[in-house]
Amino acid sequence: MHETREWLLGGLVLIPILCGGIMAARVPKGIRNLLIVLGGMTTIACSILLALGGTQRIALHPSLGIAGAVLEPLVGALVCWIGLRIRSRLICAMAAMPLLLTLASLLTGNWAHTAETVVVIDSLSLVMVLIISIVGGLITFFAIGYMDQHEQHSTPTAMDGGSFLGVLVAFLGLMNGLVLTDDLRWLTIFWEATTLCSFLLIGYEGSLESNNSARRALLINTFGGTCLAVASFVAERDGHGTLSSLLTSSALLPLALMAVASMSKAAQLPFQSWLLGAMVAPTPVSALLHSSTMVKAGSYLVLRLAPALDATVLGGIISLAGAFTFAAASAMSISQSNGKRVLAYSTIANLGLIAACAGIHSPLAFAAALTILIFHAVSKALLFLCVGTIEQTIGSRHIEDMGGILFKMPLTTTVAIIGMASMMVPPFGMLIGKWMAIEASVDNPLILLLLILGSALTIFFWSKWLGRITTASYHHKYTIEKVSIWMSSILLIMGLAVLTASLGALPIQRYVIKPVSLSFFGQYGTRTSLSLLDSVDAFLGWPLLVVLGAILISVLVGSALFRKSHIRLPYLCGENVDTPEYSFIFRSIADTPSMALLNSYYLSRVFGEQRIEMICNPIAILIVISLFGVIFQ
Amino acid sequence: MITPNPTFQIALLILLAPFFGALIAGLDRKITARMQGRIGPPVLQPFYDVMKLLRKEPIVVNRIQVVYAFLHLAFMALSLILLVLGQDSLMFLFVFAFSTLALVLGGMCVRSPYSRIGSQREIMLMVAYEPVLIVLMIGMYLVNGSFLLASPIAAARPMLFTLPLIFIAVLVVLAIKLQKSPFDLATSHHAHQEIIKGLTIEYAGPYLAILEIAHFYEIALLFYLIMLFWASSLLIGALLACAAFFLMIIADNVFARLTSIWTFRFMWTGALILSLTNILWLYL
Repeated sequence: MHETREWLLGGLVLIPILCGGIMAARVPKGIRNLLIVLGGMTTIACSILLALGGTQRIALHPSLGIAGAVLEPLVGALVCWIGLRIRSRLICAMAAMPLLLTLASLLTGNWAHTAETVVVIDSLSLVMVLIISIVGGLITFFAIGYMDQHEQHSTPTAMDGGSFLGVLVAFLGLMNGLVLTDDLRWLTIFWEATTLCSFLLIGYEGSLESNNSARRALLINTFGGTCLAVASFVAERDGHGTLSSLLTSSALLPLALMAVASMSKAAQLPFQSWLLGAMVAPTPVSALLHSSTMVKAGSYLVLRLAPALDATVLGGIISLAGAFTFAAASAMSISQSNGKRVLAYSTIANLGLIAACAGIHSPLAFAAALTILIFHAVSKALLFLCVGTIEQTIGSRHIEDMGGILFKMPLTTTVAIIGMASMMVPPFGMLIGKWMAIEASVDNPLILLLLILGSALTIFFWSKWLGRITTASYHHKYTIEKVSIWMSSILLIMGLAVLTASLGALPIQRYVIKPVSLSFFGQYGTRTSLSLLDSVDAFLGWPLLVVLGAILISVLVGSALFRKSHIRLPYLCGENVDTPEYSFIFRSIADTPSMALLNSYYLSRVFGEQRIEMICNPIAILIVISLFGVIFQ
Repeated sequence: MITPNPTFQIALLILLAPFFGALIAGLDRKITARMQGRIGPPVLQPFYDVMKLLRKEPIVVNRIQVVYAFLHLAFMALSLILLVLGQDSLMFLFVFAFSTLALVLGGMCVRSPYSRIGSQREIMLMVAYEPVLIVLMIGMYLVNGSFLLASPIAAARPMLFTLPLIFIAVLVVLAIKLQKSPFDLATSHHAHQEIIKGLTIEYAGPYLAILEIAHFYEIALLFYLIMLFWASSLLIGALLACAAFFLMIIADNVFARLTSIWTFRFMWTGALILSLTNILWLYL
């Protein structure tokens, strides 16, 4: 039995890395696509088999511990070398830190710590592995079709498509390794390796903008990686070589350092700028690394730490930082008209919400964090893929240009509508998560306030966007757009997954999220928080079905009552000019045809990015500093 | 006390609530007219309006618009049911918010600048009042120890005494939801406020009737929400709600329109801080 488990781990971590490595060697296109399918399918199958096996600890061969100790400084040296190549002294200095720490541990004599290398398969890592493998696998399939088109008009400076896809596939393995390992050194290695993947993929275009964004991403994430390396050094000095043993200790410094690492990875304020820069990368990268998986490594780490934050001020501050990020990022997204940047800000906000819940320390809060983690991964990946498809067709990612796409590309738009609805409409999972988060934070007034303000602001940009893409004049015939079968099938599969997940919200809540959260937090549950957790179950019973029924009936009745003969042109303060293409041209002064046009509100004078950054970044920095302040008090 | 069968209760609500709402709307028009020195329409005028609209030829701009109208109606009725059956208060708010959102999206999905302006203003209003309503629910939780909307009814003291400042803030929200001046900027009931109708301009005939019926549900819902502040006695609760509605009519006739950004600022400073102060002493 143990043997099969080890094979599964190999399939989850090594196979994708191997496939990616071969693809980087400029193989023909056919073999390349075959390797992607092979890597993706293997991880999906292995993750499901692993999940069916339940939770377990597996001790791997002790030599892996030594390998980790050797590899850690090597990865540091690699980043150092890249830092030299892109002429950033700061990156060099930070990446040199693991080298120095290895030296220090060699001198102090606890270099090759004898602790066996353990893989912890518990419910949290299983949830993460399933997200990474299934959502990630689907995104790599999508990337086959996307890159086919993208390569045709890519810039001459761009990276070769094979290497690009290779890094994307290899990333799946690295990410699986990150969430499965319990060894602190391996955690640091995988952490830094995912940073490198992100760096390579953001720099894909090779243009000045993408190079700068890649450099910034590397800088900020190396800072986080260095924090993690220092944390693991400090923990090892105290005799804790694994994450699980660290969590039983009462040492606060490693926890605070890890919290900072998780904040930088999850692009929380004040580290958010790298994620916005990362939006220059092709859409599959944004969907895979920068919304559904890599940034979730930050959320994963903070959720791992959560049980250890019992009755510490640290937990409160992590929670505050998260809630603050949620409110500030939601406010900033209002002024954005670039679809990908809106999605990026919304991602930052939701990751903040997860961190806020992780610090609250109750079963309900943990359940809320898990709900958001799972549903956000699927919905946001789907939305990024939709924006990518739309961009390839209409040539723009600006929200204002997306009017009328319902007619031009009905399939993608329908899927996008489902995706957006799933972010804010009852009874979809995200809203259930937000609902639980608000109820869980009811004893923390400050966090509660930030969550309330943030969730009100999110209505603004989603409804604006949803209104824009459903704008349509009447066309009697819809032609399904021509996109690659790889892309359209993945969009359909994921759209259906979002719909079924909302139908299955009750079973998911009852049989997955609640037991997981109780297994982590059962002993901390106060009576009220447990009863609130039960009330989630109660709501998801009949009211959920009624809500779903109301949506279904309205859509059916609404569409059935519609007749073509009922169509009239909108009132435009003048006689309409009847053209086949546009119905918003009217006769203005002296009978000249004019076009009626109204852009959405962006309120940049109130919610302008720079304006809010100027206020919020300093506050966020203060929160990070206070994270360390509470340790030394 | 006899607890009626929930199915019976739901059926009764769905059937009777619009009539109740229409009656309130009719009284509103009558009283407003008297305040302006007019005789005004008969009290039953809103019924006649809806009846006539329903018999008219359906006119639409596109298919989605119709779907949104039905979503608006269905979710409004649903939120009323959740409220009266005493379900979870935050979930009630989300369903209620989605109903308004469907109305907004219905206005946005047509290529009419007037309708779009109305929609965007309505979104601004939603963002402005939503925090106050959530704070109301948090206040209810702190007072009654439960998120269920049934809990205020079981409470011994009327919520008006424990949440007085929130009550004031909710009155402002009431003005926004009833489209009363100074907050009737998305669309108005009065001809003197706008030259061209906002949000609902592209709805006509039976589909406009659907929006009207949804508004009747909304009136009933808001009436019940105010009644919750004195839930121990049905009569006093109803009197309180009547007084609140009367106050709205006075405000409607006294004020002129605000701009949307001004409304937003007013709600996030004035009304929100007022209700937060109320929460603050409940935490202490």
